[in-house]
Amino acid sequence: MKFSEKEVKIFKGISLTAGVFTAVIAITMLFSLIQLKKINPLDNPSVQSVKEQFDMDPENRDKAEQVRAMDLMARKAYFSSRWQVETGSYLLIAGAFVFVLFQRLIEGSEKPSRSLQPGKPDIVSERIRNRRYLVISAGAVILLAVISSFVLRSELPAPGKTSVIKETAGSAPAAADELAVPGDINYPFFRGEGSRGIAGGTGYPTDWNGTEGKNIKWKITLPIPGKSSPVIWGSKLFLTGAGNGECVVYCIDKNTGDILWTGSASGFPGSSAEEPESDAEAGMAVPTSAVTEDKVCAIFGNGNLVCFDHNGKLIWGKNLGVPLSSYGYSASLVAFDKLLLVQYDSQDKISLFGFDLNTGEQKWETPRAGRPVNSSPVLTAFSGQPQLLINGNPNVSAYDPVSGKELWSLPGVSGDVAPSVAVNSKMVFTATDYYKVIALKPGKNGSTVWEDNTFTPDVSSPVASEQFLFVTTGNGDAACYNAETGDTLWTHYFEEPFYASPIICDNKVWMLDRSGIMHIVAAEGTLSVISSSPIGERADCTAAFSEKRIYIRGQANLYCISSD
Amino acid sequence: MKKLNKYLPYIVLVVLFIWHSVLYAQQQRFPRPEFESGYTFPTHQFLNQRGPMWEFMDVAVLIGALLVTSWLALKKRSRQGLIWMSVFSLAYFGFYREGCICAIGSVQNMSMALFNDSYAMPLPALLFFTIPLLFALFSGRVFCAGVCPLGAIQELTGFRKVRVPQSVERVLAVIPFVYLGLAVLFAATESQFLICRYDPFVGIFRIDAPYTMIIFGSLLLITGIFVNRPYCRYLCPYGVLQNIFSRFSIRHLTISPAECRNCRLCETGCPYDAILQADPATYVEKPAEPKKKSLVYLIAIPVLAAGFALVLYNLAPSLSVVNNNVKLAREIRLEKEQGIKAVSKGAIAFFESGRTEEQLFEKEQQVIARFRKGAPWVGIFLGLSFGIGFFRLTVRNIRTIYEPDRGRCYSCGKCYKFCPVKINN
Repeated sequence: MKFSEKEVKIFKGISLTAGVFTAVIAITMLFSLIQLKKINPLDNPSVQSVKEQFDMDPENRDKAEQVRAMDLMARKAYFSSRWQVETGSYLLIAGAFVFVLFQRLIEGSEKPSRSLQPGKPDIVSERIRNRRYLVISAGAVILLAVISSFVLRSELPAPGKTSVIKETAGSAPAAADELAVPGDINYPFFRGEGSRGIAGGTGYPTDWNGTEGKNIKWKITLPIPGKSSPVIWGSKLFLTGAGNGECVVYCIDKNTGDILWTGSASGFPGSSAEEPESDAEAGMAVPTSAVTEDKVCAIFGNGNLVCFDHNGKLIWGKNLGVPLSSYGYSASLVAFDKLLLVQYDSQDKISLFGFDLNTGEQKWETPRAGRPVNSSPVLTAFSGQPQLLINGNPNVSAYDPVSGKELWSLPGVSGDVAPSVAVNSKMVFTATDYYKVIALKPGKNGSTVWEDNTFTPDVSSPVASEQFLFVTTGNGDAACYNAETGDTLWTHYFEEPFYASPIICDNKVWMLDRSGIMHIVAAEGTLSVISSSPIGERADCTAAFSEKRIYIRGQANLYCISSD
Repeated sequence: MKKLNKYLPYIVLVVLFIWHSVLYAQQQRFPRPEFESGYTFPTHQFLNQRGPMWEFMDVAVLIGALLVTSWLALKKRSRQGLIWMSVFSLAYFGFYREGCICAIGSVQNMSMALFNDSYAMPLPALLFFTIPLLFALFSGRVFCAGVCPLGAIQELTGFRKVRVPQSVERVLAVIPFVYLGLAVLFAATESQFLICRYDPFVGIFRIDAPYTMIIFGSLLLITGIFVNRPYCRYLCPYGVLQNIFSRFSIRHLTISPAECRNCRLCETGCPYDAILQADPATYVEKPAEPKKKSLVYLIAIPVLAAGFALVLYNLAPSLSVVNNNVKLAREIRLEKEQGIKAVSKGAIAFFESGRTEEQLFEKEQQVIARFRKGAPWVGIFLGLSFGIGFFRLTVRNIRTIYEPDRGRCYSCGKCYKFCPVKINN
């Protein structure tokens, strides 16, 4: 079909106009679509704000009308935008139609450009060239496949592995793999290795009586009392005491009960001989010491921080300033690598310090947010990253124990927070009395997995295995939760309240009540009370476990329990 | 009258389009207001499912369209008639049937039915898969010429012709083979319908798609103005099957209506580079291809198949990430191991479903195992395709005339006007 030159010129004009129109519509629509993607009429801040006001005053009819009107406007605006975009798409197609139609008419009026090709066709060279192109294509496909197999596979389980989770389930906690595994000799911190409440070794006695002397290897009365718990390294056991303006560290032979040396932790520049105002029952020697291969460090309620070698020689000592606390300063120490880590909670300042173990030099200080607590730090590791966990108020926070940098922080408990967190290889458990027990998935994008407010600890810290969480309360209850789901598996009322923290050792849970009776139950999902053994005096300190012997500090005496 | 005849296809298409718009306008709905007085919302009304009779009507239309297109391409040799068929197919299978049911997508139904006992392929889908292939055996790629709505929309918008360098053409022509292999594997493992998901034109047919796909479709159409039928040439997986079947076609469109005079005027007439030059026995090849080379390439076919099978076997676990169960397992694993919260809708549904993680991880392993089984076959298919391709390029085909490459020719009839031979009826 042939058109006159004039007609073709008109066609070209129409086609060009339609082309420009289509391009403008396309660009406008693109921007509208991107904008529309970001809008959600139900999240309109103005509507939300008026709705909140209405929630506070639900009887206000004017406000209700205002909510309706604004909601209607927001929806209208959103659907108008949608309608515009959708109508625009029709304009776009219509414009494209006109453009295509006239372009075809123009093309139809053009003569086919037949031209004679020079020379003879070189089919052999063409075949050779085509083979080369095919080689390139095959190479590209293989290269792409190989690269993809490396890039995309990183987050898949290894071949033949049922699942990463399944493999770790029931085995030793990942934290234990990556940090020190609880041994059966050393018990270096409050609640043992990493302060996690897990003790090593087997064959511990389950039946004793402190009054009758049954299975009591030795018993000593310490000159100056305290509420700190025993820690052990090799054959030496360390404790602290405070009274009459004096703070001391005791080193005791764990086999005989002999006091090997007493180190004074008083008289440092800035320290006060007077006890700070606090709960009369607590005293100044509540925090438990930390012991390493060659040093023992202790902190007291007046802010005195000291470090001795195992022979009683003072390596360094300083005063951190008197922490102001209603119940007395109580955060126990932990050590990691070459650092002593101090959770400092005072009414005027809450911080985390890292001190050089050898010199006492402050390496870093990380100010913490929230309100002061009476919990103690816990050392663990998730995905190979060592973490220091603090049961804070209102957040549970994790810090890098080397740099002090905060790694993550998740909403936890509030109120008077005394318990420390419990951990297993996958989860963190926080709790406090008159609030809740909360299970958390740790990490920057972590979240609450479950929570329960039936059995909440007052002073004692919960302890977790891979499957179970054990809680002892200030009312004398003990409870076992399914760690994954939060289901209560068993509960038992032991009558006397618990202050000492339960310890999992030898597949048993060791729960010491305030009357001094150790209740031993199987660390299982069904209740099985193995025994209840008294030491014969009140006890609030957490027991230490080492080489088939249990060390319990009572109100006045230190007991070594052994069936030897 | 002749002029009107030229205009008519486009006028019909515009009328159909306006009708489509009117129907669409009825669907505009304003959101429900919030009531607080005893008003109860009416029961939700669902549209009645399209009856089976209508599905067979689609099959009947498909057969009719294929018959007419075959007649137009082979017997009538009417390029204008083929344009008309493109308009009809675009209107019916594109805008009216909204791109579904579709022979291209039916490849996945076929694959899923072959490898899953629990899936029964609907008969219309089976017919949409097989009938165009049967026609390819009889009359070449007439489905591509005027029946496929994806081909039709590109045919109608491709009015300028830019010849793509042969090197680029040959390299890009491999993509449909890979795409077909992956689409079959993903459907066989019940992972996803890749072809439907990334259909660039269905969004235009339905005026509804993620805007990225609409942009992709529009870009393809704009590209197609110059580089004609880009989807058919460089992406279409069903085109691979059409290509293979059409090579064995009993009859095929010819460039010349009578005896070819080897005038070479049509050599540049095909925008798809699908015209095979005459190579008569009288030509002496310089240099001649040694017969030994052909033998080497023949032996290389199974070697290539085995090699690609090995590569794809190794790639299988990586490919399995397209499966929803594998994706979900990965998300849950990340949450458990690295604390990265699983927030996807799939994860939320999983948590609410009561399924255990062990069940999910077990399923993940099953999916990966299925990919391990299936991927080597995709490798074998690719290896064979490459191997046969190499071998064919070492064998000389004696041709005395210029003729279409039966595999690559879309039977679009663009070459008719380049042939000076005319028949006087």
